[in-house]
Amino acid sequence: MLNLNNLLLQVIRLLLTFVIIFLTLIIFGVSPFDVFESILYGSLGSYSKFIRTLIVWTPLCLSALALIYTFSAGMWNIGIEGQIIMGAVGATFVARSFLGDDLISPYLQILMAMFFGGFWGLICAILKIKGKVHEIFSGLGLDFVASGIVIYLIIGPWKRAGIASTSGTDIFHKASWVPTVGDSNFPIFLIILVLFLYIFSLIIFRYTSLGIRLKATGINTFATNRFNFSSEKYIVFSFLIAGAIAGIAGFSQSSGAYHKLVPSVSGGFGFLSILIVLICSRNIYFTFIVSFLFAALIVGGSQLQIKLGLDHSLIGIIQATFVLSWLVLQKIEIEKITYKQISKMFAK
Amino acid sequence: MKIQIKNISKSFGNVHANKNIDLEIKSGIHALLGENGAGKSTLVKIISGQFAPDNGQILINETPIQLGSPKESISNGIGLLNQDPLDFFNLSILESFLVGINENAPYRHLKDIRKKISSLLEKYEIKIDLDTKTRSLSIGERQQVELLRLLYNGAKLIILDEPTSAFSLDQKKNMFQTLRQLSQEGIIIIFVSHKLDEVFEICDSASILKYGEIVENLVQPFDSDQIFSVMFDQFEKSSIDVEHNERLDNFSINFLDKDISPQVDISNSYDFSQGTVIGFAGLQGSSNDKFLQDFFSSDKNLSFIRINSSTSLLKNEFYYMPADRLERGLFGEMTLLEHFGLSEASKKNILNWKSVRKHVDSKIGEFNIKATPESKMHELSGGNQQRVMLSLMPQEKSILLLEQPTRGLDVNSAHNVWEMILARKNQDIAVLFSSTDIDEIWEYSDVVISVHGETIIDVSNKNILTKDSIARFVSGLV
Repeated sequence: MLNLNNLLLQVIRLLLTFVIIFLTLIIFGVSPFDVFESILYGSLGSYSKFIRTLIVWTPLCLSALALIYTFSAGMWNIGIEGQIIMGAVGATFVARSFLGDDLISPYLQILMAMFFGGFWGLICAILKIKGKVHEIFSGLGLDFVASGIVIYLIIGPWKRAGIASTSGTDIFHKASWVPTVGDSNFPIFLIILVLFLYIFSLIIFRYTSLGIRLKATGINTFATNRFNFSSEKYIVFSFLIAGAIAGIAGFSQSSGAYHKLVPSVSGGFGFLSILIVLICSRNIYFTFIVSFLFAALIVGGSQLQIKLGLDHSLIGIIQATFVLSWLVLQKIEIEKITYKQISKMFAK
Repeated sequence: MKIQIKNISKSFGNVHANKNIDLEIKSGIHALLGENGAGKSTLVKIISGQFAPDNGQILINETPIQLGSPKESISNGIGLLNQDPLDFFNLSILESFLVGINENAPYRHLKDIRKKISSLLEKYEIKIDLDTKTRSLSIGERQQVELLRLLYNGAKLIILDEPTSAFSLDQKKNMFQTLRQLSQEGIIIIFVSHKLDEVFEICDSASILKYGEIVENLVQPFDSDQIFSVMFDQFEKSSIDVEHNERLDNFSINFLDKDISPQVDISNSYDFSQGTVIGFAGLQGSSNDKFLQDFFSSDKNLSFIRINSSTSLLKNEFYYMPADRLERGLFGEMTLLEHFGLSEASKKNILNWKSVRKHVDSKIGEFNIKATPESKMHELSGGNQQRVMLSLMPQEKSILLLEQPTRGLDVNSAHNVWEMILARKNQDIAVLFSSTDIDEIWEYSDVVISVHGETIIDVSNKNILTKDSIARFVSGLV
């Protein structure tokens, strides 16, 4: 259901957020218009830039989608980074196997990535339920373990012929790359995958018992028994699904972006997507759009250095300002402020 | 001290909880009366600063106070004693005190503070060790500690929101004595209750709320018939017929040895015919609720129920209704519609929201729930939450396990609740409920199971019992 008043408020909040970002940039002595122009140009200014934005957007929006499942169940899935990394490991496993030069490889990679990511999520869930370990601690720990595993694989069993370097494994066989349209590099395969998963999740959350039970679990784990289900089971489900989707994000990184396994294969997208989901308060539509904005910001940000001679870290500042001011503005009831201010003005 | 409440209004979503409330209290004990959902709790929360009203003013000694700030209310001498005590479970009583008192560097004056609290405890005859953890106290004791804390902080106006619902008889007597004493010392007391006998006993004046508005202001002597007719739309006092049929789904209850009081020699296993209403009587703080939880958990290592003495029961054959509605019963952040969706979810994997909505609309009418399908549970009053829980009872024949089904409800709502429960009795396998109210046990049970402390002390058909004998059992007298 669309509430027009509410939408208007959100638009006002968005505008205010941009005002704050503009002011921040001015404080840094940078023209906000120049910055936004070059970001826009850098992310969407040409076909190849647009493709790069899509390649960044895919893992970002997938891991954000994954987090919607765990957040719904009330779980802080900090382990998302590790799940992405393990997804990439799973995909690389297939790509480096004897099936790596087969057309079937990408599909097998997805399955394996889902399996690896889901398994990594499941560990969190089991520790949570059986060991009463808070998911933030286990998730953080598992992130480190996953990073360790990748580095071990890259300089160990999967090292490049002759040299062991942390720059990554050998490039995959072309058949193991994410399929594109004809000879172009348009990642149609990833786009379809994203659309399918988003629509699938919309249906899950709106029309299925799984969706509503996940949501209920996130609100009150003590009341779920009365409605004939166990909250623990649904916590496990949420981690399994989230891990599997994050695994696909890992596949997109290894086989779509790098075409090899690199040490920082997750690109920090897992943590960034936590922010995205918080901004969007778990709304699937918003997540879809906002993750695209962030992808554009990341890709366009690389232009800053070239065009304006600014450091790339400015993008981090813009992101952080965006997230913080948006979250603060969410907590402020704008409609009430104006009302109070008006009444105060009249009182004077 | 004088408090003036002017034109206070507050709504939650589409529900007008308070509409243009005007009230002035100068002294004495003032009662706020009203049916469940009449707006008493909202008004109390506005006075104590927990809610900011949509508009209106509150004046203390002719000066307006800032609304919506508990701190401001406390500094103006307003103290609220909540229905459910809001304290720190893991702290000792002394520590809880230290957190809540208006004193700079309390740890430097620990000895003085301890002495002061002890003298307060003595003055009001409360026997509690200051070093025990809050969680080991009964609700009644926690309430008393809270009251002391308010006094310690120099409250000049104390609001009691249904304080006695958790009290034993002695505690109540003590409390009333304290309240009278305080009132004589010049402290204003606002007493929210729907136990009319208590109001008659202790209050000097009263206001009746209905649908969020004050409809009548009264002073002693109260006319009980008048209050009834103003408070309730229709007050029916007819009792409900308890019928008995011989039917097929008979059931048995099996208690563990450790659940039976060592004082008595009674059987562990009982057979009942379908449709029997069994009341678990017990004082506040006894384990009478726990037995219902045991049955629901279907754990074979606990006391359990079986149908026709052979088949074991599935979880979805029970409908369990816990006493604390928002903690264990409902999902505060979810809407009424979503709750029905959730109960639909145990039958189907795909939800048809259109039919769920239709179902909700009919249930809202049937159970007289004052809410829309989009209302969130935490926006509803306690009585409405209770009605929501009842409306969620499955259509299928079940064993109803109802923990204190009328806790915190007024006479009329309680009566309604029982009408709804007993209307199903003929189709259900059994109705098991717990209560601390012996009148309620007496009125509705066919069989009474008396619980004293943690164990069962008696299981009898009502027709061989008297109210007195139940009272004796639950007090531990055999």
